Amino acid sequence: MSENRRRTINTIEVNVLARWIVAFFFVALAGLFFVYLKNQQHAIGDHARSVEYALRQAEAKNETLKARITGLTSRGALQKRIDEGYLHLEPILDTAIARITPPLSAEHDGVLRTASRDPDSRFGAGAPQRTISR
Amino acid sequence: MKKTGTRIGLVCGLMVTVFTFFAWRLIDLQVNRHDYYSRIAAEKHCIRIAIPARRGRILDRNGEELAVNIPVRTVTADGTRIHNAATLGAFAAPYLDMSVAELTSKLSTQRKYVVIRKEVSEEKTQAMIAAMDKAKLHGLYLEESSVRSYPNADMLCHVLGFVDHSRHGIDGIEKIFDKDLSGQDGFRMIEHDRKGREIVIYRGQEQLPQEGSDIRLTIDMGLQAIVEREVDATYKELHPKGVTAVIADPNTGEILALACRPNFDPNNFSDAKPDQMRNRAISDMYEPGSTFKIVVTAAAYNEGIVNDTTRIYCENGRFPYGGKVIKDHHGSGDLSIPEILMKSSNVGAAKISLRMGDQSYYDYVRRFGFGEKTGIPLQGEISGLVNPPHRWDVLTKTRMAFGQSVAVTPIQMVMAMSTIANGGKLMKPRLILSMGEGTAVEPAKPLREVVSQKTAKYISMALEKVVSNQGTAVLAKIDGYPVAGKTGTAQKIGTHGGYLEGRYIVSFAGFMPADAPKMTGLVIVDDAPIGSEANYGGLVAAPVFSRIGGKAARYFDMPPESPQMMAQSGNSGTNAVTTR
Repeated sequence: MSENRRRTINTIEVNVLARWIVAFFFVALAGLFFVYLKNQQHAIGDHARSVEYALRQAEAKNETLKARITGLTSRGALQKRIDEGYLHLEPILDTAIARITPPLSAEHDGVLRTASRDPDSRFGAGAPQRTISR
Repeated sequence: MKKTGTRIGLVCGLMVTVFTFFAWRLIDLQVNRHDYYSRIAAEKHCIRIAIPARRGRILDRNGEELAVNIPVRTVTADGTRIHNAATLGAFAAPYLDMSVAELTSKLSTQRKYVVIRKEVSEEKTQAMIAAMDKAKLHGLYLEESSVRSYPNADMLCHVLGFVDHSRHGIDGIEKIFDKDLSGQDGFRMIEHDRKGREIVIYRGQEQLPQEGSDIRLTIDMGLQAIVEREVDATYKELHPKGVTAVIADPNTGEILALACRPNFDPNNFSDAKPDQMRNRAISDMYEPGSTFKIVVTAAAYNEGIVNDTTRIYCENGRFPYGGKVIKDHHGSGDLSIPEILMKSSNVGAAKISLRMGDQSYYDYVRRFGFGEKTGIPLQGEISGLVNPPHRWDVLTKTRMAFGQSVAVTPIQMVMAMSTIANGGKLMKPRLILSMGEGTAVEPAKPLREVVSQKTAKYISMALEKVVSNQGTAVLAKIDGYPVAGKTGTAQKIGTHGGYLEGRYIVSFAGFMPADAPKMTGLVIVDDAPIGSEANYGGLVAAPVFSRIGGKAARYFDMPPESPQMMAQSGNSGTNAVTTR
């Protein structure tokens, strides 16, 4: 090739080109990674939203069921059940109750009794909730 | 060559101009008008959603739920997102219990927020939303809400009160402690997409709700149920204008049960009449009649004006004084102080009052808590009526001695009787045991010492004789348990003054066990149409107290004084629940 012809040809500087390509590649990769992270954020956000929604639903359902249980076990409802014959009150005669000593308080011996209501415990935080025999 | 240079310059200049314009526009949008466009964008995409606080529950002293919340949903619509109102209306109407035409007309709007229906059950709304998602329909949204429910219906209604549709207390505990029960709603700033769904990553400022405090009452629902049953039976049997019963712990002032008739169901408060909603225990005043004799006898004994050996001549039941004649039901001669109470002698009580100074007597009446509000945390309490000495006529003092010319509320009478029961201390009635995390609102404390322990004991022993075979309240007796108390029979006052013939308010106030009182009770039966000959506190109200007291003793498992007596009365048994 003559000298004149060689002069008109632009030389490609592979080093510089490679540097730019690598730089562009990294920028593009960073961009794609950014988009990926953003999508992940949205996907996790959507997931969080659906979990929150499911949680709220479960809470609401729980509250509804608790309210229903409270309603069905209320005194009025139980009385209705007794009237209908589903529940029956069996009288325990006084003669069938043996009282050796007056009932002790739970604070006395730390024992919460079920057969006799602790007379002091109704004033305390550790009062028995409900006894079945009254 | 020159031409080419000009052309390049022209193109470059044009490009510079264009990009300068773009740059200027960009700066204008992003910097100069940033606030304006941000606001528009926020209005379009950002919304503030409220996070409702849970209203606190009301519990009895043992944790039984008396007022609870049932979650419901408010269905709203965004008209700008509805493409076909008719289709959506036809689809959603069955879930919302609305007619298709009604729903379609509500959905045919361009408004962004329309309330379609309130208080729709959780199940129905979830089914609707699931079906809408499946059918790819949009435009209906759900908001969290709740309705207040009172599982025991009309039981304890006058204490609990009720809330309106916006969940604000209107009466009772719901009203007085509305702020504590309501809590504080929270909020969250959110951005949403074109379909109205929240974009979680752009979630903005958030404030969590402050849940309402649970309130634990001093009421014992086991005892309340006993009282309600007896009050109800009395109301149905005698058909009076009203029945009131209050049970308190004399040592702490805690109200254990409170029932009035007529009553109402707070779940359907709009159906109730004003008379049903009135809490007679705090907002009605009445002439107490002979139950008030405890005041004059205790005052005179405490002042040393009368003593254990004092005997009062009771004029054989007819004592002319101040131009009128004070009469006794059964005439007597000399009576001791306990006998005056036992026989309920008006003449004896009047004569004791005449031995006292006006101001001193008045001071004792006030010290027992009459003429002032007790401070019970319920709305509508009145202070009763006690005139000061300068307003008295010649008869007032003697009439006050046996419960006339004075008006009291049932709660005042219960606390006065508790003063005798607990050794002379006037307690403030307590209705709240704890609030929130179990902290006591205020400890039980005596307001003042009204009479000495010795006086209280003396009057208590006298009242025990009232509930004996010789006394006026023999029907208040409870097998195995000593009872102390006093009957009261007062004629009703007409609206234009003067007493109404044959119309009475009868009552019994007492406590048990008399030697170590655990509960004080008052039963009032207002204007029962049963004839004058049978309408006495000892015949009408005392048996109700006896039944309540007997069942309460079993409920609290109070050890009987004499087990043999209990064994004999084998028909009153404890009930155990069995399922069939």
